[in-house]
Amino acid sequence: MTQNGGKIMTIIMILYYIICIYVTAMLLWNFIREKKSLDNMLHYLLVMIPLILRVFRIK
Amino acid sequence: MVLAYTVAKWRKLSVETSMLSAAVTGGLAGAFIRTPPIGELARHLVEGSFTYLDVILVFTTATIFMAIVSESGGIDYVVRGTIKYFYNFRLIVLLLLMFIILIPGALTGAGSVSILVVGAPVALAFGYLGISKRRAAAILFIVAGLSAAAPPVNIWAMILSAGTAIPYVGFELPLGIPVLILGTFTVLVLGWKRESSRDKESVLKDMPEVPGSMTWWKVLLPFLTFFGLISVYRIWPFSFPILGLSLQFVIAAIVALLVSPKRINILVLSRDTIKRLLPLLTTMIIVGMLQQIMTATGVRGLLSYAVISTPLILLFFLLALIIPFSEGVLTYGGAAIIGIPLIWFLDSIGFHATIAIAGLSLLWPLGDGLPPTALIGRLSVMVSKYEGSYWRFLRTTWLPWIVITLTGILMIIFSSKLEFLVRWSM
Amino acid sequence: MTSIWKIKIILLAVILAVTTMAGIQLYRHRHFQVPFLAGPGVTKVVSLSDYAKGLKGTMADTYVFFLEGKKEGGKALILGNTHSNEPAALLSSLIFLENAVMDKGTLIIIPQFNNSGSRSTRPGDGYPLYFDISTPWGKKTFRMGNRDASPVDQWPDPDVYIHYPDRMLLSFLDVRNTNRTWPGRADGPLMEQVTFGAMEIMKHENVDIAIDIHGAETMFPVTNCIVAPDKSMRIATMTSLIIKAKEGFESHVEPSPSKFRGLSHREIGDYCDTLPFLLEAPLPFLDQPTGPKTVDLLLDGKDPFLLSLSKKKKLFVPYDENGWPMANRVGQHCSVILELIRQYSRKKPDRAIKIQNVPRYADVIKNGVGFYFQDPLKKDKKNIYYN
Repeated sequence: MTQNGGKIMTIIMILYYIICIYVTAMLLWNFIREKKSLDNMLHYLLVMIPLILRVFRIK
Repeated sequence: MVLAYTVAKWRKLSVETSMLSAAVTGGLAGAFIRTPPIGELARHLVEGSFTYLDVILVFTTATIFMAIVSESGGIDYVVRGTIKYFYNFRLIVLLLLMFIILIPGALTGAGSVSILVVGAPVALAFGYLGISKRRAAAILFIVAGLSAAAPPVNIWAMILSAGTAIPYVGFELPLGIPVLILGTFTVLVLGWKRESSRDKESVLKDMPEVPGSMTWWKVLLPFLTFFGLISVYRIWPFSFPILGLSLQFVIAAIVALLVSPKRINILVLSRDTIKRLLPLLTTMIIVGMLQQIMTATGVRGLLSYAVISTPLILLFFLLALIIPFSEGVLTYGGAAIIGIPLIWFLDSIGFHATIAIAGLSLLWPLGDGLPPTALIGRLSVMVSKYEGSYWRFLRTTWLPWIVITLTGILMIIFSSKLEFLVRWSM
Repeated sequence: MTSIWKIKIILLAVILAVTTMAGIQLYRHRHFQVPFLAGPGVTKVVSLSDYAKGLKGTMADTYVFFLEGKKEGGKALILGNTHSNEPAALLSSLIFLENAVMDKGTLIIIPQFNNSGSRSTRPGDGYPLYFDISTPWGKKTFRMGNRDASPVDQWPDPDVYIHYPDRMLLSFLDVRNTNRTWPGRADGPLMEQVTFGAMEIMKHENVDIAIDIHGAETMFPVTNCIVAPDKSMRIATMTSLIIKAKEGFESHVEPSPSKFRGLSHREIGDYCDTLPFLLEAPLPFLDQPTGPKTVDLLLDGKDPFLLSLSKKKKLFVPYDENGWPMANRVGQHCSVILELIRQYSRKKPDRAIKIQNVPRYADVIKNGVGFYFQDPLKKDKKNIYYN
């Protein structure tokens, strides 16, 4: 097995996008469930910013 | 920026939101003189949020991994075993626990990984050894910090080496020897005294029940998977693909899930873990934004200029404050802003760069206990379930803190005399 | 709708607006195309992926320009933007591309060596996205890139980068740094494939000398210099002496450290017959203790903090109120490259390389960098390559 053999690096990169989507979904779930803390609502959204732009391959 | 932070704190906003308001205010103030232009402010904030994206993914995946191990009863099982076999050999058990904390951080360069992976079981073990939660948190914080400085991977040293074009070689002894001595000193000073005395049988009786089907290999297998994946890349770097820490934790988490004797709802567990991690994740995002705004406005350059302009003798005294505080405010950003020009300067006047970098990288982890970020400090408090004042916890570390500071500064001052450590490492 | 949901929607709208605004700017930056105009000397244009197949269809692929003389001779390779936040390298290589005419031998130019890095920004460092160079026909806009390749093209990083083939441990970031991934591999991470492609060019084309252009901080000891391994040392030393005597500027010689792996000036010389040289010109914009990171600082290199540090003798280059303008840096690179090639040609007359029509240090300072760039609107479209 080589590092790029069989496009392994591409598959690994796709797995990272899946990790990002999973974490974003968990953040969104918490954001929807949050009932009290305005701070927490803002924080869930802030953490989502780089994850979303990475998933869209913008940055 | 400082004013905005103070006002936000006074309005009882969280540390993270107060830092965000400092970043936004700094950017708006800078926009008056087009540094940065107002149209670029959003881009700077968003771009800054990427600074520690990979660190955020590592934190998240590592914590979910440990949450699975904990939920399956693995942590309780390990702690029970440690107490059962080593309860009456205090020196051995303390050194053993120290090595357990040192290994993950030494391999990954992140003290936070040490805390996230082994912090909870080690803190529990400390508790059963009669060490208070406050002292347990203090040991975890200092030793996890030292683990990040320990070879083979020291991220501060790597950032400084990359930024100063000094090869990242010869650090094994200059970092390894002080880390082992200071780690042993810390666990003995903070952990030797038994604050509550109980016999082994009553301790074992009080410990949480472990699922009957839990075995050593079920606990070990996920960890062996994680360390195995790290080791395989080290041994066969040119034939094994680069997985990255996050994916390595995900694979270990899947193994932990498969061998767990209990059924675990992974979605609910992930959701709750991320909720628990939120302050840390937000801190990493906002520190990146703050760092970007400080650079775009010139504030970062001003701070760097102030450090470089300080007379040498005074600088040596101030390092004890400047280095940890730069880490507290900017985490790894401090190494780039202050460390790189400092090493160039010291190198040019005859100090040995490798030893000076090693000395400095003993001081940086101390800053991981200082606000506003206090990354490792907060994690240590979290996993050891200490609920008292944060400052009381931090005060507990005073003696190891001073000894580490003195060691680091003396290493810098006498760097040219300690050059043999670099030679012996190569 | 409850008040909690109203707050949530307002917060979501604000964050979405900020993210979208920034996202559009970052997307445009990544996809912004700079026209490279093939000058009168260009005889062949290929892609780096012709030498490293794995690069095909990726953002790491880049153009390779050949300027072949009518007479046979030696071959020289110029690499620009190995680090895309050191733009004097790109501008210098474009001056060669748009103006050089070969009398003898061949010149190979890769102006945007780390193409992925040039399409990325540097989080935490507050760079501008673009910079303009004034020309007689208007402004030519360039992307301001990053030192390392974009994680959108190569992700994830390892916890520590183990250099191929020497196994030296390097910072995890260096896996995306095309001046740490030499000599590279055909099947390694993307940036190792980039350097592998360049090594293949040098081996297949029998390149005699390779020149990798950079910029470095004024507080960095290895600045304003030619870095060379033992095998290139004589030519570097002669070049340094001649330009000091004839053109009046300093560019001293620094030896390439043998234990520091992955750098072009080390690995090219160790893994093929080509003589490598790495050029550094001072780049105040990269220094840590500067004011805001503006386009002005990037172009004129004037900074009050650096001026003050210079008076305290903490810089490694002379620095006064004039800063260190882009024209000086680009002019310096042009002259050093021409002199390196001349010195090599003197040493190996059978492999001589003769170039005409490239300005030297004094010319670039007098006329400005933009004077040497052609107007894309007046150029035949088939000679324009967007990179």
